[in-house]
Amino acid sequence: MTLIWIGRVALVVALGALVGGVVDQAVALRHRRAGHALWFALGALVGILGAVAAMEVALVTHNFSLAYVAANNATFTPLLYSITGMWSALEGSLLLWSLLLTLVTLFVIYYYRREASDPVVAWASAVLFGVGAFFTYLLVVPASPFVHNPAHVLQGAGPNALLQNNPLVAVHPPLLYAGFVGFTVPFAFAIAMLVTGRVQDRWQLEQRRWTVLAWGALSLGIVLGAWWSYQVLGWGGFWGWDPVENAALLPWLTATAYIHSVIVQDRRGLFRVWNLSLAIATFSLTVLGTFFTRSGVLQSVHAFSSSTLGPLLIGFFFVCVGAGAGLLAWRGDRLRSAVGVDHPLSREGLFVANNVLFVGFAIVVLLGTVFPLLYQAVNGAQVTVGTPYFASIAAPLSVVLLALMAVAPLVSWRSADAGVLWGRLRTSAWFALALVVALVAFGVRRPTVLVAYFLAAGAAGAALRTLRGVLVAAHRRGRWTSALRAPSTGGMVVHLGIVILALGIVTSTSYTTRAEVTLAHGQSTVVSGQYVSFAGFHEVKDALETSTELVVSVGGDQLRPAVTTYNGRNGQTVGTPAIDSNLLRDVYVTFDAVGGNGATSGAQVQNGLPAGSVVLGVTVEPLLAWLWIGGLVVGLGSALSFLRRRYNEEAA
Amino acid sequence: MRRTITVASLVVLALCVALTVFLGTRRPVGDATTVQSPLLGKFAPSVEGTELDGGHFDLRDDRGDIVVVDFWASWCGPCVAEAPNLSSFAWRERHDKVKVIGVVFDDSVSAARAFQTHYGSLYPSIVDPNGDIANSYGVTSPPTTFIVDGQGRVAATLLGPASTAQLVGAVNRVRR
Amino acid sequence: MTVLRSFWLWVGALAVVAVLVVVTTPSVATSQARITHLETLVRCPECRDLSVAESDETSAIAVRHEIADDVHRGESDNKILTSLEAAYGTSILLSPPTSGLGVLLWAGPVAVLVLCVGIGVRLARRRR
Repeated sequence: MTLIWIGRVALVVALGALVGGVVDQAVALRHRRAGHALWFALGALVGILGAVAAMEVALVTHNFSLAYVAANNATFTPLLYSITGMWSALEGSLLLWSLLLTLVTLFVIYYYRREASDPVVAWASAVLFGVGAFFTYLLVVPASPFVHNPAHVLQGAGPNALLQNNPLVAVHPPLLYAGFVGFTVPFAFAIAMLVTGRVQDRWQLEQRRWTVLAWGALSLGIVLGAWWSYQVLGWGGFWGWDPVENAALLPWLTATAYIHSVIVQDRRGLFRVWNLSLAIATFSLTVLGTFFTRSGVLQSVHAFSSSTLGPLLIGFFFVCVGAGAGLLAWRGDRLRSAVGVDHPLSREGLFVANNVLFVGFAIVVLLGTVFPLLYQAVNGAQVTVGTPYFASIAAPLSVVLLALMAVAPLVSWRSADAGVLWGRLRTSAWFALALVVALVAFGVRRPTVLVAYFLAAGAAGAALRTLRGVLVAAHRRGRWTSALRAPSTGGMVVHLGIVILALGIVTSTSYTTRAEVTLAHGQSTVVSGQYVSFAGFHEVKDALETSTELVVSVGGDQLRPAVTTYNGRNGQTVGTPAIDSNLLRDVYVTFDAVGGNGATSGAQVQNGLPAGSVVLGVTVEPLLAWLWIGGLVVGLGSALSFLRRRYNEEAA
Repeated sequence: MRRTITVASLVVLALCVALTVFLGTRRPVGDATTVQSPLLGKFAPSVEGTELDGGHFDLRDDRGDIVVVDFWASWCGPCVAEAPNLSSFAWRERHDKVKVIGVVFDDSVSAARAFQTHYGSLYPSIVDPNGDIANSYGVTSPPTTFIVDGQGRVAATLLGPASTAQLVGAVNRVRR
Repeated sequence: MTVLRSFWLWVGALAVVAVLVVVTTPSVATSQARITHLETLVRCPECRDLSVAESDETSAIAVRHEIADDVHRGESDNKILTSLEAAYGTSILLSPPTSGLGVLLWAGPVAVLVLCVGIGVRLARRRR
């Protein structure tokens, strides 16, 4: 019971500090002096940390007097999953969000503490406090994690089965939320710049650095989420265009546009309106994403339980977008650049295309996600908008983006000289063609695959050429390490990561084979060139779970696909796939059914088969591991990009 | 440039107003929806079979009581969400001439029994070996709940996980 | 060799390769290819957004058999999808209908494309 009071009081303290921070900044702005933002931010952090500590202690000690713990934890839940239990349900996930937000707020205020009297910093701090106050308010009133459980419960329900069988649950949500929360900062500064009228470049360009960090975290978070789904959900896929997945993709798309667009502002002072709009749009889409995930309005395997938060979240979305759009309409006159885009096919022109494509795709994805609701409201019938629709838009778009990646890094600024461009493109172009010829000779005939490899080779070529230029320049200066901090290094490494990722996606989705094989004990077979044999059963029964594992050999490796039933009310029966992964292909094995009428821990029984034989689902996916490798390279590239020198620091 | 920005911003603002109002007025999918089943008003098809615990159940024996017939399966997520609601509802109404009976939909007996053991069930469930009962009720996806009134007619159909409030509301409407 | 000539040489080589690929690709729409394609368009009845091609639920396997039977019986793709829709409801198709409100869904991307081209044209014209 004490923990509940500690938690509740801590949250109220945090809310008070955040509201106080807003008031303090308002007063400071009025009197044109620095406020005490740092103290209020510290106060808020102390409050949130207190609440987090209370929740984690309750989870780790299996304190079922908290309804949240009784619903998401059990005495036999392992320590890791007790800790991650904090964010496995709705209220706790908001606690994680608030924790990251207060940390970011404190960091930003500390970073700019010497300029605390600058109105831009003051407004940005006020916005950060305001957003934090909103999310903390949700924790204090409608979605409190510290609700008392009146029943005297000896055992909790345990976490959801899919949230306790893979350690990625400890990494994916924090990274994802770090990304989302990170986008609050450029939003806050965009609002501050618009309100004060100070839309000159310095603030915007500083935002680029933080946005790259948030973007990197979000990208890694999304890739890890895909990897987690792949390892756990049992159909060998990694992306379903599910509403919650789309909700995470939308801000990523506008953030990618923003990162590219700011390069132009850095170089030539253009695109100010685009950049402010993209910063506002990215954060607003983040809020819209939390609405989709927590309102229960759209069905999703990733969604939290439905709640009363829907109207509050969508209202907040409107406040953010409304403020942004309103301010842009009001301050439109001050945003005029002295110069314009010189040629549609110059580097700036291609960046415009880049912006439009990413934003356009985001709009299309949003439309597709919301469409079933619209259809139901108008026609009263249910309709599904699934992979075929989104893929038919994403595929041609990816082709165009790959082509842009192959050409844009080599295009000049301000002009579009075809001769010069061809001179730079020539090597990549011939290499790409040679690759296609090699693939055709190898037997690849599908046009999508050939086009993808062709353009990917071009994109890789452009990136490598740029990197080579950077290395040559660094060598001339005698300092290799300066190559790491060159302006284009991070970005080109990210492009290489995207190329690897794209090739992984295209190859695996085009050439995946699925088969169901029935094997008796000791039998083996060959599926798509992979040797699969079944060696027997292995039962696991402990406090946490009852599991029937199959001992399966693929190639030379042993795999253990299983069907597991977790104890506790939340612990349904889930199939645990087993994956044999190498650079060339992934073999994905699921335990689909068992013959006879033996009692198992929940596996589907097929009476027609002899007892002791099993039905295995075997999916062979070429180059799937490249997705995760590509994601890692993207993360590395964004870290490098975070560290890069600004364009006019080049002299040193 | 000034006018384009102002116009574009106002257009975006208008679209966001529409989006906000539209999304803000949607109902969460978490609850069951009342559907117009072709069985409404007609005599409920027979529900008869062996219970998972071994007993025997026949809907005809309960003429006079309100019977809540719930089709569920162990592989069905919303059924997990619904199970505690049905149990507490069954327990509370057991002296008020309301009975709850579950029908296992397209599932193995062992899995269904495991489900009952794990989530606890304060109401019996019968097996439907060839899916005959499910077919006669037109059930394609669990959980689907039918409320049968005292005269044996189907009075309401709920598709999806039923919350306690919905069960209580539906049964009260039948009582009137 | 001048820059221009080396470019056209490359384009020529690309054209040759493209023609080769098109010519040597067997483009027979086999029954199996049709079945596989149709399976990606139909949702597994018990799942939220998996197609019957990806899911191994009993109902998904049943629908796969139904599609295979219909294809072998010679029914057109459209007829197969319509009959599945009639049996399971409109939400069984993973791609929404193109008529009625569905037009909005397909008009959206087209509008974005038009916008893209429009902006490009405006930029080019402003240059002059």
